[in-house]
Amino acid sequence: MSDPVIKVVDLRKSFGALAVLKGISFELERGAVLSVIGASGSGKSTLLRCLNHLEPPSAGEVWVGGQPIGFRIAADGSRRPDSEAAIGRRRVELGMVFQQFNLWPHLTVLGNVIEAPVHVRKLSRAAATELARHFLAKVDLLDKQHEYPARLSGGQQQRVAIARALAMQPTVMLFDEPTSSLDPELTGEVLEAMRGLARDGMTMIVVTHEMGFAREASSRVMFLHNGMIEEDAPPERLFTSPASERCRQFLSKVLA
Amino acid sequence: MENLRESLDLSLFWEYRAVVLGGLGFNLAVFLCAGAAAIVLGLTACLCRLSRRRWLARLAGGYTETCRSAPEYVLLIWVHYVPPLLLTVATGIKISFSPFGSAVIALGLAYSGYLAETFRAGILAVPRGHVDAAAALGMTPRLRLRRIVLPQALRHMLPEAMNQAISLFKATTLVSLIAVPDLMYRVSMIASQEMRPLPLYTGAALVYCALIFTFSSAVRLLSERWRRRHLA
Repeated sequence: MSDPVIKVVDLRKSFGALAVLKGISFELERGAVLSVIGASGSGKSTLLRCLNHLEPPSAGEVWVGGQPIGFRIAADGSRRPDSEAAIGRRRVELGMVFQQFNLWPHLTVLGNVIEAPVHVRKLSRAAATELARHFLAKVDLLDKQHEYPARLSGGQQQRVAIARALAMQPTVMLFDEPTSSLDPELTGEVLEAMRGLARDGMTMIVVTHEMGFAREASSRVMFLHNGMIEEDAPPERLFTSPASERCRQFLSKVLA
Repeated sequence: MENLRESLDLSLFWEYRAVVLGGLGFNLAVFLCAGAAAIVLGLTACLCRLSRRRWLARLAGGYTETCRSAPEYVLLIWVHYVPPLLLTVATGIKISFSPFGSAVIALGLAYSGYLAETFRAGILAVPRGHVDAAAALGMTPRLRLRRIVLPQALRHMLPEAMNQAISLFKATTLVSLIAVPDLMYRVSMIASQEMRPLPLYTGAALVYCALIFTFSSAVRLLSERWRRRHLA
């Protein structure tokens, strides 16, 4: 296996006395699509939010592209916590798509997509617009570029959110239950956009309840239980003959 | 009956129109300066109150509550007389505030308290996820505030802020207390000279009403249009 794009070492997160992640370790190679499944409360969303430090992990390490996020290694080999600004710069490598879309309602579709390229990457407005139009075309929404988010359907809003994350040209895309707040007839267009990304070779981590997507579009499926990885296998194996009894129970419930 | 007719006879007010309306300039000047001060102080107090540093949040909370609790009338007189006296004692040099300066400070302080709370409500109404999305895209806290949070907060708070602007304008009629030569001050001067207060005060009331009504309807119309366009 080539060098992993993401390496997670013994990641832990507690909120007060409540331990949500109890030591997560895994590696992900370039171009892999990892689906993370599990019951609610198993720590799936927290795991994603710890990867890009939206939640600072309580312990453990996250490496992206061979570089750590959240700390740096000093000349003497010791680890020093990074400043918020430095974390901000590093976190850009992980694009994130949220369950609630989180488009900014006071900006147009185009305004949403060029915001970070212009103000974070300091691209010129013209260059950012060109980039934004490229990604909006990819999610098939170029014709909506001048609309405000409130005038779009949920599925369209989520596709704009995908384009907005892509416009920062991240190494990895994180999806936090991207179809969970969509009407059933709108999930298809979002899943299709995600399949397109996977075909283009984007490395993706997808927290999802869509077992169909996990089974067909991902190269690897991870089942979380109580803040730990209970099973981690290619979809054909995990869905047909799970090694763990808990995973078997979970699947029989959601696939029923 | 005679009294009533006299009180509604505005010819006396009309006679003095130049002097009286000249006083309106002071109302407007106090309004604009105190309003600007209230916006700056109010936003600062609100951001401090939302800070993660406990002592700073407490301090800002104390400031906000004090400003909100003090009646404008009392604050006006207090600011005009007490701080100059304290400064005089402290420095040994005779210090006094100009009536205009005192009026701006007092009303600026009072309304910064109200505005701080309005700003806070506006900011808290912005969904947490919008800030997360900005953070995930590498935006610094400053950038998130300036580009994502404040523009939305302003839209949320606009109706309430407009009500406060209107009450601030009304409150500027109090400044005659400390001898700022505004409309009310001039009206009361002329009233005591002419011995006919009723028509003059009726005229003043009409002028204020007309002005505030026009101002508030125009602003409401514009702000609603602006708000509706983008708020989900």
